Amino acid sequence: MEVMFQAIINGLLLGGVYAAYSAGFSLIFGVMGVVNLAHGELIMLGAYTTYWLFDLFHLDPYLTLPFSMAFLFLFGYLIQKFIINRVIEQPHIMSYILTFGIHLMVANIALKLWTHDFRTITTAYSGMNAAFLGVNIPYARLITFVLALLIIAFLWFFMNKTETGRAIRATAMDKEVARLMGVNIREIYAVTFGIGAAITGLAGSAIAPFVIIYPEMGLEYTIIAFCVVVLGGMGYMPGALWGGFILGLAQSFSATYLSAGISVAITFVILFFMLAVRPTGIVGKGLVGQ
Amino acid sequence: MISISKKAWTWLALALAVMCAAPWLFTENQYLLRVFTLIIFWIGMSGCWNLMSGYTGYIDFGPVVYFGIGSYVTAIGMTKFGGSFFFCAPLAGIIAGIVALPIGAVALRLRGAYFAIATFAFAESMKQICLEFDRAFGVSLFEGSHGITLPISSFENIFFYYCILIVTFAVMMIHFWIEHSKYGLGLKAIHEAEDSAEIAGVNTMAIKLRAYIMSAIFIGILGGIEAYWITYITPSDVFNVHKTVQMVIMTLLGGMGTFFGPVVGASFLTILSEVLGTEFVENYLIMVGAIIIIIILIMPKGIVGTIKEKKNIRFI
Repeated sequence: MEVMFQAIINGLLLGGVYAAYSAGFSLIFGVMGVVNLAHGELIMLGAYTTYWLFDLFHLDPYLTLPFSMAFLFLFGYLIQKFIINRVIEQPHIMSYILTFGIHLMVANIALKLWTHDFRTITTAYSGMNAAFLGVNIPYARLITFVLALLIIAFLWFFMNKTETGRAIRATAMDKEVARLMGVNIREIYAVTFGIGAAITGLAGSAIAPFVIIYPEMGLEYTIIAFCVVVLGGMGYMPGALWGGFILGLAQSFSATYLSAGISVAITFVILFFMLAVRPTGIVGKGLVGQ
Repeated sequence: MISISKKAWTWLALALAVMCAAPWLFTENQYLLRVFTLIIFWIGMSGCWNLMSGYTGYIDFGPVVYFGIGSYVTAIGMTKFGGSFFFCAPLAGIIAGIVALPIGAVALRLRGAYFAIATFAFAESMKQICLEFDRAFGVSLFEGSHGITLPISSFENIFFYYCILIVTFAVMMIHFWIEHSKYGLGLKAIHEAEDSAEIAGVNTMAIKLRAYIMSAIFIGILGGIEAYWITYITPSDVFNVHKTVQMVIMTLLGGMGTFFGPVVGASFLTILSEVLGTEFVENYLIMVGAIIIIIILIMPKGIVGTIKEKKNIRFI
């Protein structure tokens, strides 16, 4: 019984972490139709921002969150404004391949600058657990879990209650009409990518205290973000939470009762059948079509 | 069948003759032979991708799965059952094709990014299954991450050159057929407007499924040949996502949905990476990334596509 509770808690915490770094992916896809293959690199950059601020200035990892957010907003904004916007009117395949080129460049420049060393952040509270009814809850993961909920709440608020958010939603629904209503589409795209990158960087910083940081870490995060977003419904923001929890629970249960290696395969099997049976995601609010 | 000019046949025969004769020009230089083999290998691989994704516009992000299946069928067939290479490599193609049938039938109902992700997911899950199958079920079939060592072949490199040449030539013949047949028109119609094509009476599902299976078969055979050539395979190697990416980028660079696209793209990129890889070992991947970005920004139709558009030339 306790094993099962632990598996559930682990799954939910893991799901929260997954949701945190997949929300930006969902936002970017939902608004622009761009499958951002450089998504993992945004996480990597966020994690490295935290690492260097921690290493050089001894800032607490959670105090570095605003810095990585600001840095990645700028990074995302500039990439969209000067590179991706040039192909945004063309078939989507162009943007997949373009973002793959960005993935290669960013990952390998990072490799050149920061070498292949595995880096970890060790704080006074790393490895500490809250014991609760015989179930262990690591503090770092709990904080990330709460942050994930905050990120998604913030996104929801931003999209629904602000003028920019309304412009973004209008662009996602029908960009021609939005343009006629006086929305500067390209600027909106740049801001959207900036926000997507900023929350992804934030998530990258938030997971930095308990993951291994190295320049090539990005690709596997991109793959998980794919799965999470498809499970929850592409372009539907709260879907990232759904997808994250399903995936987290599936992985945690299969790792507990089967084997850790097979849990990744189970993830992909779930993903494949989900796409075949219900491409709009588990709650059916994702975007389908081209 | 649209009639094919005599000139086109002459060019094809000439190309085949040159490719057959080419290795004899540098029998002394094994390095050049290897580069040449790699070029035709990648022409075959990106040709297979072009066959399916280039013509129909369905972006397949997991073709490498059939490469892996082909490699494993050959490796298991040769080591566990003692089959001969000449039996196992074609068998690899057939099994890849059989696997492609149900997968294609499901995945091809999806469009756009969804198809891309579904194929990608399938490739990654096959990789994980090959990695974990043995440990999870307590058997010794895929050998997990240790990989399988194939029997060392008594053949020279030139043997593999001809093996790959046969497959690549078959792939290019299919391109030729697509360019000159009603079937090819159907594929192109799917690219332009799938719903309209269906209304016009094109059985789009059957057509794209056939293209998907064809490309799977040839990728599977190439996987089998490469496994025997390299003699050592691991799941993370034969299912490596970079193989997929290379196929995509080579085709895109040459020009998607064109006859010469894979040929130009694969030759250019293989030579480029040979040169850059030896000259700039450390910055090689940064440069490849930069080149991809530049190509997409200035030549979104690829080399062949751009030339075609500028000069309005019709190839073959």
